[in-house]
Amino acid sequence: MTGGVSPLLRRLAADRATGALVRDHGTLYLVDGQVVHAESPVAPGLDVLLAGGSDRRSAARPHGARARRIGAGEREICRLGALFDAAFFALAPGRGPARFRYGAEPRLAGAGRPVPAAAVERETLRRRELLDDVWPYPALDAAPVVPRPAAPGQSVTARGRALLSRADGVRTPAQLAWVLGRPAFHTVLEIRRLAAAGLVETPAPAPVPDPAPVPPSGAAPTADPPDIALLRRVRDALEAHL
Amino acid sequence: MPGIDECLLEAMTLPGARGAALVDWTSGLALGTAGESPVGDHETSAAEAAELARAAAEYESFAPAPAPGGGPGGGPGDDGDAPVEDLIVTTRTGYHVLRFVTTNFDSSLFLHLWLDRSTGNLALARLRLRDLAERLVL
Repeated sequence: MTGGVSPLLRRLAADRATGALVRDHGTLYLVDGQVVHAESPVAPGLDVLLAGGSDRRSAARPHGARARRIGAGEREICRLGALFDAAFFALAPGRGPARFRYGAEPRLAGAGRPVPAAAVERETLRRRELLDDVWPYPALDAAPVVPRPAAPGQSVTARGRALLSRADGVRTPAQLAWVLGRPAFHTVLEIRRLAAAGLVETPAPAPVPDPAPVPPSGAAPTADPPDIALLRRVRDALEAHL
Repeated sequence: MPGIDECLLEAMTLPGARGAALVDWTSGLALGTAGESPVGDHETSAAEAAELARAAAEYESFAPAPAPGGGPGGGPGDDGDAPVEDLIVTTRTGYHVLRFVTTNFDSSLFLHLWLDRSTGNLALARLRLRDLAERLVL
């Protein structure tokens, strides 16, 4: 897995390709092999981030007249953050093969500096490691967020409090990101930190433990229903070696 | 209203400036870099500086004291204002100034300037970074 996140992305970058790399969880748009835009249904877009989220409470900030004026510098910062955020989810291991649509252009790409594909790939890997360093329970990232009461005397950070106050036991990390107007990765990371501190329930781990060692070749023949998760891991490992 | 690169290049014109970066302290991502990194790799120094900045920004002990006239106090609120203005780390050979940047959207940003100890001017760097942090989001 550490070999790379997407062999296809590397090849497209080397070929200086232009178009859309469509994966299960999102799309990367390339121009001359560099990433100019990324979208994922999980990650809030630039408009949501700049508006302060869908939640009025967080949108109403006491900044007075400055509140809704977004300058060029801010827009650039927000665009870059959104690009890396959507790319992280778009490059998550998916179910189907990735496709590339040559020449496809993003509908909503703001103008801005293109980012080398290698930088996007490195950052995505770094983020995966960061999540696992904080609290290695990936099941948290997509499950509804269930807050737990703080221990006596335990303090919660301001950003943690803002998140917990909107966690109603139904919203998932991605939904909270949209509500708060925060990047989805930041929300997922915050939830891992809160879970590590015991402030969010950690769901039971997925039935198949994750870090995927390549299974021994003779171990497969069972007449029972196929182990889908295992098959996916095998396929992902094979893809990573192509 | 400069962009990220202009802002960092301007920081690099300060006397003794060796490296500058705009970093997100939640993720550790460097949104822009200029000059050298203290460890030879901007991505690593951004991730390390981010941990330091996050601790300062989030630990209650470093939050401003409540305003004397009552009110909600100066603690880190829900309003996006950074509770800490800047962080200064000095070493035998250098200074590091980390200046928090407040934006109109939800973010967790700081400017990191690395200065040579013998030629850098800490007071000037602090003032200039404050100014740059404000102009970056104008």
